[in-house]
Amino acid sequence: MNTMNPSIAAKAGAGEQEPAIAVPESRPEDTVIEEGKTVGKPFAGDADSPKFKLRNVSVSYGNDRAIKDISLDIRRNEVISFIGPSGCGKTTFLRCLNRMNDSIEICRVTGKLMLDGEDIYQSKKDVVELRARVGMVFQKPNPFPKSIYDNVAYGPKIHGLANRKSELDEIVENSLRKAGLWDEVKDRLDAVATGMSGGQQQRLCIARAIAVSPEVILMDEPCSALDPIATAKVEELISEMSESYTIVIVTHSMQQAARVSHRTAYFHMGHLVEVNETNKVFTAPEHELTESYITGRFG
Amino acid sequence: MTDQTQQAERVRRSLKRRYRKESRFRAYGMLAIAIALGALAVLFADIIGKGYAGFLKTTITLEVDLDPEVMYLDDPTDPKQVRMADFVAPLVAAADDALPGATEEDQDALRRLINPYASTELRAALEQNPEWMGTTRTMTFLAHSNVDVYVKHEDDAAYSIKLSEQQQAWVDDLVERGLVDTSFNDVFFTNGDSRDPAKAGVLGAIVGSLLTMIITLLLSFPIGVAAAIYLEEFAPRNKITDFIEVNINNLAAVPSIIFGLLGLAVFINLFGMPRSVPFVGGLVLTLMTLPTIIISSRAAIQSVPPSIREAAEGVGASKMQVVLHHVLPLALPGMMTGSIIGMAQALGETAPLLLIGMVAFIVDPPTGFFDASTVLPVQVFLWAGSPELAFIERASAAIMVLLAFLMSMNALAIWLRKRLERRW
Amino acid sequence: MPKSKDDMYGDHISHQFNDDLANLKNDFLKMGGLVEQQTIDAVNALIDGDGWAADEIRARDRIVDNMEKDLDEEATQLIARRQPAARDLRLVIAVIKMVSDLERVGDEAKKIAKFALTLAEEGHAPRGYVEVRHIANHVTTMLNEALDAFSRLDSTQALKIIREDKRVDEEYQAATRTLLTFMMEDSRNISRCMSVMWVLRALERVGDHACNIAENVIYMVEGEDVRHTPVEEAAKIVGP
Repeated sequence: MNTMNPSIAAKAGAGEQEPAIAVPESRPEDTVIEEGKTVGKPFAGDADSPKFKLRNVSVSYGNDRAIKDISLDIRRNEVISFIGPSGCGKTTFLRCLNRMNDSIEICRVTGKLMLDGEDIYQSKKDVVELRARVGMVFQKPNPFPKSIYDNVAYGPKIHGLANRKSELDEIVENSLRKAGLWDEVKDRLDAVATGMSGGQQQRLCIARAIAVSPEVILMDEPCSALDPIATAKVEELISEMSESYTIVIVTHSMQQAARVSHRTAYFHMGHLVEVNETNKVFTAPEHELTESYITGRFG
Repeated sequence: MTDQTQQAERVRRSLKRRYRKESRFRAYGMLAIAIALGALAVLFADIIGKGYAGFLKTTITLEVDLDPEVMYLDDPTDPKQVRMADFVAPLVAAADDALPGATEEDQDALRRLINPYASTELRAALEQNPEWMGTTRTMTFLAHSNVDVYVKHEDDAAYSIKLSEQQQAWVDDLVERGLVDTSFNDVFFTNGDSRDPAKAGVLGAIVGSLLTMIITLLLSFPIGVAAAIYLEEFAPRNKITDFIEVNINNLAAVPSIIFGLLGLAVFINLFGMPRSVPFVGGLVLTLMTLPTIIISSRAAIQSVPPSIREAAEGVGASKMQVVLHHVLPLALPGMMTGSIIGMAQALGETAPLLLIGMVAFIVDPPTGFFDASTVLPVQVFLWAGSPELAFIERASAAIMVLLAFLMSMNALAIWLRKRLERRW
Repeated sequence: MPKSKDDMYGDHISHQFNDDLANLKNDFLKMGGLVEQQTIDAVNALIDGDGWAADEIRARDRIVDNMEKDLDEEATQLIARRQPAARDLRLVIAVIKMVSDLERVGDEAKKIAKFALTLAEEGHAPRGYVEVRHIANHVTTMLNEALDAFSRLDSTQALKIIREDKRVDEEYQAATRTLLTFMMEDSRNISRCMSVMWVLRALERVGDHACNIAENVIYMVEGEDVRHTPVEEAAKIVGP
C-alpha cells in the first residue's frame, strides 16, 4: 500500500508514452491523441492548457488525510468520471473543485488547484464567482421548495445576469431546454418543484446549474437516487452537455462511468490510482487495484 | 426441516407474547392520555362552572321619581346644586315604591339592594338630560353585588349569607315581577378594575396585557431570531459559542421570578424607569421569552435540510443570500410557532410582573406603554385573593378570558405553521 | 501485487460469478479437447485409409456444433447477468471469438475426414502422406499448446505459437511444391494429389485458427489486441 504512489506514477507515465489506441467516438480524433500525450506529465505552460490543473492536492479533516497528494488535469469539454470504493475520497476531491468544502471548518486543502491558470484557493479569490463558473449537481435532487421557474431563475437573479424579465424568461427557457425538461414543464412553470418526479427534479437541478452558464459542472452521484429510466435521461443529458461544458462526475455505478465519460479516474484510499481513457480502464486497466475494483473483486 | 418448523413454532409463541406486551404498552399510553384529558376536563369544568356566572350581570329596574325635593334641591336649574344633590334618596324611594311591604326603618336595607355606583350613574344621566328633572323615569341599574350573587346562585345557601331574610324576600319578589333580571355582563368587558365586584371588568387587564405583549413581541422576536441565526450560521464553533449555548439553555430553565428581580434591579432601580408600566413589563417578559425563542429558532434553522443550503451555495449564493433566501423562509414557520408559544407563556406569567409593580389597583385602562396598568394573570391573582364572593367568579371569568387568549394564540401558531409549512 | 494465475478469475465477491467464469473456461477447454481429438482422428483415418473412422468423425462434428452453441449462450448469459469488466470481460469476449475458431477447426477436421473417405475408397496409399503427417503433427501440437496457453493464461507460450505459424506456412508451401512435382510426373496422380492438397490446406487453416486462439489468449492476459500487428510488437507487449 505504501509503495503504491511511485509505482502508479511510473505506470501512468509509461502508459502515456504510447499512442492512444482507443479513440472515443464522440470526440475528434486529433485532439484526443494530442491530449492523450499530455496526461500526467508535468505541465509547464503547455499550449493546450487544461481546464483544471491540479497539483499535489491534499485534503485533511483534522488529522485525517482524506486526499493524499493528487495531481490531475481535467481537460476542456471532457466528461471525466471519478470512481472508487466508498470513502476513497472521490467526493471530497470533487468538492474541492468549487470549494464546497469551505463550509466544513476542520477541512484543510493544500496544493495547487488552478482553474484556467488561476489558483482557486488563493485567499482573495471570491467563492461566489468560482461557483458561478463551476456549478454543482448533488446526489439527492435538491430543488428549492419554490416554483420550477424560480428554481432556474434563482442563480441568474443573484448574479444579475438578466436585466429584464424577458431576459430572465429566456434564460429559464434555454436552461430547461438544455436540460431536456422544457416540454415536460412549460405549462406548469409556477408549479412547486418538489412535486415533480425524482428524475425531473434532478434534471431541474441540472437546469438550475446551467442557468448561470458555468464552464464546469460537478456532479456528485447524480443518479444514485433515480430509477433506470430517469438515469438514462440524465446520462443522455450529460453526453449532450459535454459539447459545451466540462463535466466531472462522481459515480458509484461503474457502468455509468463507462457509459458517459471520456476518461475515468480511479481513487483508492485517498490516492488517485489510475486515470485513463474510459475505453482503456474498462477493458484493460493498468493498475491491479483498478482491475480488482471494476471486476468486482473488492472486499 | 424439523428445525425450521420448530423455529416457526417458537416464533409463533414469542409472537403471542410480543403482541400481549404491545397491547399492554398501548394501554399504558391510553391511560396516560386519559389521565391528562381527565385532569383537563376537571379543570375546565371547575373554571367554567365557577366562572360562567361572571359573564352575567344582575340589573334592577326602578321607577325613579326625579323629584327635586326628594333630592334636597332648592333650585333645580343650578348645575352646581344639581351636582351636590342627593341621588341616593330617589333610588331608595323608588325601591320603596317597588316594594310595598317596606317601612321607614328598612331604608338602609333597601339601599343595599342597589349598586353603590347607581347614584353616580343617575347623576351622570341627569347631567346629560337636564329636562328629566321633575319627571318619573323607568331606569335600569346594576344590582348590588350581594344581590347579584344571590340571584345567580339561588340554590346555594353559601351565596345568600350577605342578605337578610327580608332582603332575600324582596329580591325574590322583584325577580318574580321581572324587575330584577340577569343579562350578559357587558360591564365586565368595558370596565377596568373596581372595588365593587359588580362594576369590575377586565378591559384594563386586557389592554395592559396587549401592550405588554406588543413590547415583548417587538423586542424578543427580532432579537431571538437574529441571535439564533448568528449562532447557527455565522458563529465559529469554539469554547465561547459553546459557553453561550449552555447559558441560553440554562436561562430557559431559570424561574421566572428571577427575571422579575432582574427587571426590578436593572430597569427600575438602575435605569429609573417607571413602575407598573407595560413597557417595563414587556422588557422583563422579553428577557424571559428570549431563551425559548432562541432555542426554538435554532431548532427550526437546524431542521432546514442541508441539501437546500448546498443547492444555494452550489449556484453561487453568498452566505447572506443563502440565509435570507432559503434558510429563513423555510425556518420561519418553526420560528413563529416557537415565538408564539413563548409569547403565550409570557402572557400567562405573573411572578415577574408582581416584582415590577404591575400588581397595583388600577381602574382606568392604560392608554400607552408608559401608563400604569395591570395584566390578565395579575388581575386573576388580585381577584382570587379578594374576600368578596362575587370576585371569585370574576376571577374564574378572567381565567376563561385568559385561556381564550392563549388558545387563540396557539390556534394562530398552528394556522401559521400549516399555512407557511412546505414539504421538501 | 503480482498476478496469481490460479485465482485470476476466482476471487470475486460473488461466488456465483466465480463459478460461471470457471464453467465457461472448462467448457471451452472441453470443446478444445474434442476438436483436437477430431483433427488427430481425421488425419489418422486418412493415413490409415479407415473409412469407418472417417464416418464416425463426421458424425461427431454435430457434438462440436452443439458445444459451440452452448458456449455462446453461456457467454451471452454471463455478459447479460454479470456485466463483466476488464479481465473478466476480455475472457468472455476472447472465448466467444475462440469458440468460432474451434468450430472452424472442427469443420476442417470434418473436411479432412471427407477426403479420407474418398481416398480410402480409391484404395492404395497415395503420395504426399508424409507431408500430411508432418504438418498435422505440427498444427495439432500448436492447437494443443494454444489450449494449454489458454488454460494457464500463458501469453509467452501463446506468442511462441504465433511465431510457429510462420513455419507451418513455409511447410505448407514446401509440401504444395512437392505435390506439384508429383502431379507433373504423372497426370493420373492429379486427382488424388488435389485431394491431398485440400487436406494440407485444411491443416494449414487449423494452424491459422490455433494462431488466432493464441492471439486471443494474449488479448485476454495482456489486454492488448495483437491481431494484425507484427510479431515483434506483440513480443514487446508480452514482455520477456
